[in-house]
Amino acid sequence: MTDIEPDPKAETLEEFKNSFSYGARSDLTFKFLKSLSPEDAGEFFRQLLGEVGRSLDHGEAGPIHQLIFDWQVRGYERSGPSHEYDTAPFVAPAKPVSESKVGVLTSSGHFPAWDDPNPFGVENMTQAEAEARISEFMRDTPTLSAIPIDIDPGDLRVRHGGYDVRSVSHDPDVAFPLQTLIALQAEGVIGELSSPMYSFTGATSQGRLRKQALPGWIRSAQR
Amino acid sequence: MSVGHVARGFEEAGIPTVSVFVRAFRHVAEVMKLPRAVITQHPMGRPLGGPGDRERQRTVIEAALGLFDSATAGGTVVEIGDAWRPGAVNR
Repeated sequence: MTDIEPDPKAETLEEFKNSFSYGARSDLTFKFLKSLSPEDAGEFFRQLLGEVGRSLDHGEAGPIHQLIFDWQVRGYERSGPSHEYDTAPFVAPAKPVSESKVGVLTSSGHFPAWDDPNPFGVENMTQAEAEARISEFMRDTPTLSAIPIDIDPGDLRVRHGGYDVRSVSHDPDVAFPLQTLIALQAEGVIGELSSPMYSFTGATSQGRLRKQALPGWIRSAQR
Repeated sequence: MSVGHVARGFEEAGIPTVSVFVRAFRHVAEVMKLPRAVITQHPMGRPLGGPGDRERQRTVIEAALGLFDSATAGGTVVEIGDAWRPGAVNR
């Protein structure tokens, strides 16, 4: 039997799992791996490969999806928010939803093709560049994009360095419920859909959001 | 957290709000004490439903709108139990 000398340049499991979070293997669906211990990350991969192996016979992807979901929950629960409050604000609506004007503001990073917020002065920033500059976004003041509800779907864009935008790139309503609310307005479920709808990139400075951006957004909504 | 700060700010200004979170961020909705929140069993980045899945997207939005009529106090969190199902996207 031959002894195998450990390779000092070999990547550790810690380095491997962390590389999915804005590293060499960046994949935002799996960036939760960074929050897991190496032991738990190893367990995730063991279970994942187990489900992949079983799917060769039953052909179903559902158990794989459920496993990824379960471990995402586990990963993010370990990175608790830094902002905690003791009480919840509450104001009762003046009218039923079916008689109310409903507005939408998402943190999904949508914007009209003709009004790109051009973060950091960069024109036509790609999703890949947004991911690469995530730490700068996290220090920046968010820009609110106004999106008219009659926008041509082909003119709706999305860019967000904090999450995997592949799904919303196929269908904005995955996170920006434009078509869903237009249908609910037509059916009278809501009184009126307010135009424009709004969106910003949720990966942003929380202090700048609260102190610099949000007060103006609220004033606009009150007009 | 951004969604939480926006929702709290609007509600404190007298504008009723409801927020939608994926299950991985339920703890955010709870510790930030949001006025109203709906939680979906969806992967991150897909809060309302899969691409093209108008039925699920509508279920989530209707649940959110329903909280405007049914919630009587802040901190109301409703979790939709339907498991994730893929959208209709060709490879």
